[in-house]
Amino acid sequence: MAEAGRKLSLAAWVWVLIAGLAVFELVAHPLIRAAVPSDESWEAASAFVRARYLATDRIVAAPSWADPIVRSRLGDLLSLRAAAPGDPAGIDRVWELGIRGATTRDESPALEKDFDGVRVRMWRVSSDEVLYDFVENIENAEVELAAADGPKACSWTSARPAPGGLGHGPMTPSERFICDPHRPWLWVGATVLQDLELQPRRCIWQHPAGADPVRVTFPDVPLGERLVIRGGIDYQSERQRIHSPVILRVWLDEQLIGELVHHDGDGWSGIDVDTASLDLERAQVRFETTAPDPTARLFCWSASIQSGRRPVVDAPHRLHGGGR
Amino acid sequence: MIDARALKRRDHLIGAGLGVAYVMILVGTTADLGMSRDESFYVHAAKNYAGWVSQLFMDPALAIGRESIDRAFAYNWEHPAWMKLSFAWSWLAQKHLGLFPNESLAFRFPGMLTAGLLLWLTYAWGASVMRRQAALFAALAFALMPRVFYHSHLACFDIPIAFFVTLTAYTYWRALADRRWVPLVGLAFGLALATKHNSWILPGIFLVHFLWIRRDEARAGRLERSSIIWLPTMLVIGPLVLIGTWPWLWHDTWGRLLAYARFHLRHVHYTYEYLGVSYFQPPLPPSVPFVMTLFTVSLTVLALALLGLYYRRAELRLPWRTKLGDTTGLRTEVLWLGCMLAPLLAIALPTSPIFGGTKHWITAYPFLALFAGWGLLAAIERAELDVWIGLRWPSWAFAVLCLLPGAAATAHSHPFGLSHYMPIAGGVPGAADLGMNRQFWGFTTGSLTEWISAKLPAGGSVWICDTTNGAWAMMHRDGLIPPNIRAARSMSTADLVLVHHEPHFNEVDYQAWVAYGTVQPVFVLRYDGVPLISVYENSLRPGTGSKGLD
Repeated sequence: MAEAGRKLSLAAWVWVLIAGLAVFELVAHPLIRAAVPSDESWEAASAFVRARYLATDRIVAAPSWADPIVRSRLGDLLSLRAAAPGDPAGIDRVWELGIRGATTRDESPALEKDFDGVRVRMWRVSSDEVLYDFVENIENAEVELAAADGPKACSWTSARPAPGGLGHGPMTPSERFICDPHRPWLWVGATVLQDLELQPRRCIWQHPAGADPVRVTFPDVPLGERLVIRGGIDYQSERQRIHSPVILRVWLDEQLIGELVHHDGDGWSGIDVDTASLDLERAQVRFETTAPDPTARLFCWSASIQSGRRPVVDAPHRLHGGGR
Repeated sequence: MIDARALKRRDHLIGAGLGVAYVMILVGTTADLGMSRDESFYVHAAKNYAGWVSQLFMDPALAIGRESIDRAFAYNWEHPAWMKLSFAWSWLAQKHLGLFPNESLAFRFPGMLTAGLLLWLTYAWGASVMRRQAALFAALAFALMPRVFYHSHLACFDIPIAFFVTLTAYTYWRALADRRWVPLVGLAFGLALATKHNSWILPGIFLVHFLWIRRDEARAGRLERSSIIWLPTMLVIGPLVLIGTWPWLWHDTWGRLLAYARFHLRHVHYTYEYLGVSYFQPPLPPSVPFVMTLFTVSLTVLALALLGLYYRRAELRLPWRTKLGDTTGLRTEVLWLGCMLAPLLAIALPTSPIFGGTKHWITAYPFLALFAGWGLLAAIERAELDVWIGLRWPSWAFAVLCLLPGAAATAHSHPFGLSHYMPIAGGVPGAADLGMNRQFWGFTTGSLTEWISAKLPAGGSVWICDTTNGAWAMMHRDGLIPPNIRAARSMSTADLVLVHHEPHFNEVDYQAWVAYGTVQPVFVLRYDGVPLISVYENSLRPGTGSKGLD
């Protein structure tokens, strides 16, 4: 009898457990849906940020999958550089629109306000000042393709952009330097790269042609404390980790000041070059890309002249390559 | 060795009623689903096949010639023809008789029929070995899995192969006790082979089961042993049906069969997001099919299936534990367990190509549902629900309670079935937090058609991302998109750009930023707050204000 009673109670317990699971699923389902922030919450949070936004602010979403929602509300405030930063310089404040308790930072914010499920937080960050952004000045550069019979100038052209699509790599902009119409990938211009972490990077596409360098020269660049260079290869190519490295050499007034050797797997990475010790106010800066084998080397880089390093609160960037 | 209850007319009425009701629901909800990527390929192939079928009636000698066959069947040669031929027949019926309200339904209807038949079969098999109540529960538990409901709508092979795999297993199981079923094993296996390559593993599963019961019989000292006649039947009739229903194989048979096998054994790898990582080459974590099952099937049904396995553990005992004189049977649960685990394990193998979608192991779910039926019986019988108050309704109420989570989830999942996740994953937003695959096939474009039509009242063009031109054309023919809104080949010439959100599609998002000089989508299609599609508007298009900042 005792055994029967024990079995019955165990069976009843299992029955209750199964019924409990069903009830849990039935109750959890509407609760999950009810916790989704409404359009009104997003609108109110966005209006709050918009009213306080300054040009040196950055806006981020937490969790990251909510980013399209935030951009649909506040994307008109964001430049491509702000949405796809090559490095964290030039930002004074970070605004975060977060849901589900997610956040991008551990520090206490300077400001926090909740809008019925959408939490706005703001941090003051002190990043370096950007004196000169090479990506934004690409149109002012001179581009040439070195060859055995002498360098060939690449002309700034307004041409048909790429159609776009999965596996097509960074978008070919309508305005760009075209170096060889027979090699349609041999162009130089500003675009946005999907790096190895799938993050957006505003950068200058400078696909190496092989051993002969592709040269991009910026005349009369104002110099500050350092030249910050970052580079990466398109996700679809770099993730294979089978292709040859890309070498980016940086020359300042014909003096080699830095060399970034990018291997597959490095991800978005770079070097910082001290320019304060050069005792120059302005100089010509040249970037050259080469690769032992240019196959699938969808290389893109960003660089800026920066000054006034203060504590940077943004996520640290991995540094690779050897600066001189 | 018969340990199955004979099915009665009432059973078939219940099974058929289930099937018909399910097909009616599928027909009634199909207009909400824009055509998916793979469907568009099969529709294209089916149209080619329809042309060949017409030629077969007009000039048979010419039709069976290599030139005609190659012209019709070279496209999508990597999949057998059986279901595509059925799509073709259905489309021909639509052309001549106008049976369906729109063209996509004509292509989808044969797949829906197999979904209905699968419910009937699931019920029938269940009712052969367990109480009708549990069999009914099993069939409904299967029908009310959100991803099963989604795939049941499609002109694809995933629900059809689930039906033909289950049918082959059922005929094999019947043939063990009744030799009149033996030819049907070969026929059913042939149709499974002719549907999709998931069927290749069936002889292996059956052989393990067969050796299990033969060992059982030997140890029990039975003089009459089960016959292996089903195996040569499968191996002879099966390929004959495959070749007979696939004209592509009527010429250069061996070469094309080998190419077909090679294609799937060396399949390309899809990029698939799982727990925050986008996998693009093997090995995919072996946990994928199990975690995806946990996240996309009702937890209540899964718990009942585990309970069912435990409840029937005696039937799963290893054969060397059988003693002389023990009674032996068909070991139905061993067969079900094999059919349930084999598809999951096949995907979990580190050498398997990366697929990821639940559809690739969906053949496991009818058997999962059948074990859930046993679990329901276990819960009801062991808890003596019927005994407590002397009435039967508490057990029925319990069954309904256990089906409700699946029903609620399925109702909410439509038309976003591939994006849906159960509460155990935190629902759709919880799955997004966990970094789970959000969609594939560009199927969510169908949920944007009204918005696009309203946005471009005078017509225009849309760059359609992961949606194919064929799928877009079908949305035209179905009347979901006005004919003056065409698919654009290039972002720069399009009025709107769609971006289907999957991490490896971020590239396309960034391309749109550069193409239009803005990071601001004009619309974000969301499901439970999670972005599925961003739409960008071409600011250079006349009549739109420039939003470009850079």
